Amino acid sequence: MLHRVPALLALSFALTVAGCDKGPKAGATPAPTTAAAPGTAPAAPADPTAAAAAGVTPVIDPAAAAAGQSFGAGVKLPESTPIATILKDPKAFAGKTVRAEGLIVDVCPKRGCWFEMAGAGPGEKLRFKVVDGEMVFPLDAKGKYAVAEGTLSVKDMTLEDSVAYAKYQAEEKGETFDPATVTAPISVVRIDGTGALIRDKM
Amino acid sequence: MKTQWRKWFRILHRDVGYVAVALVVAYGVSGIAVNHIEDWNPNYTFAEDRFDLGPLPPGPPAEQAAAVVARLKLDPATVRGHFLETERDLRVFLVDGQEARLDVTTGRGVHKRVARRAVLFELNSLHLNNLKGVWTYVADVFAVALIFLALTGMTMMKGDRGFLGRGKYFVGAGLLVPLGFIVYLYQ
Repeated sequence: MLHRVPALLALSFALTVAGCDKGPKAGATPAPTTAAAPGTAPAAPADPTAAAAAGVTPVIDPAAAAAGQSFGAGVKLPESTPIATILKDPKAFAGKTVRAEGLIVDVCPKRGCWFEMAGAGPGEKLRFKVVDGEMVFPLDAKGKYAVAEGTLSVKDMTLEDSVAYAKYQAEEKGETFDPATVTAPISVVRIDGTGALIRDKM
Repeated sequence: MKTQWRKWFRILHRDVGYVAVALVVAYGVSGIAVNHIEDWNPNYTFAEDRFDLGPLPPGPPAEQAAAVVARLKLDPATVRGHFLETERDLRVFLVDGQEARLDVTTGRGVHKRVARRAVLFELNSLHLNNLKGVWTYVADVFAVALIFLALTGMTMMKGDRGFLGRGKYFVGAGLLVPLGFIVYLYQ
């Protein structure tokens, strides 16, 4: 009788595992919705040509376009809003669901809880942030291409908070920080993410 | 009857314990690793080499990025893209999270490399449930097993060495440690 116990444990374990797969799958591409939901931002197509001219390399590969790794709820909006458009007037998009895409230029090195996508122009970046542990983005995603969706958040900070924020960001990346570089209050614009698709190429 | 339940608890405690050994060790090791995340990165190692390529010829960022790749003698196939952080600060992204970042006016920069920590990366992925999906349920089963081991563990001995003997004091001491911290934190 005793020798059956481990076997029974193993069987119940295997049955539990086999019946419960609801997680994200690598390579799965969420089906896009055909209409924008209420509260979503009007999207203009992202322009890879402009990106190429301004500072971001678009590596267009149709075969790779459909592939990728899906995170969270995936991407449901049919079109992306250019990052430059969002950054030009972020308050127009605040609180709305937006989809944006771009080259990943930084990833949270400690918890993988955010990444930054490049816009078309020099220095244009938009952060995609998720609750710690909800989605975990690998550091080697840097240099890959992301399509990300969530609610745009705009937070105006005091100068004191801006310095503290910049200091924390620098420490997180292991960079040196000079408080004198923050001379004016900053607004933190980011997407509070619900889902993303990361692929090797645009 | 009293002896029967104790006998079965001992049997199950022993065998569930055997099954749980690997994950107890894995979660324990990972627990120590991620506990000190403010002091070190438990998932990745970083390395960087400084370089001086000389000033880059003026031109579009794509051409400057190509020049960086050529001067560093990198395989162009490893390039994923580039980004102009500022007018002088060019970042060229390579496979596996590598990056060459430089000041285009001086050509001085750094080649950053990142690598996953062998074993620890995988252990942390399991422990923090980065895998999601099926692993969530495996971890749930493991958590239930730990609760079972804790509860049945208190029934292993009878008499003075059992829970009703000195065991209750040890259990109480174990409870006081986290309880003390919570009281200290919220007072």
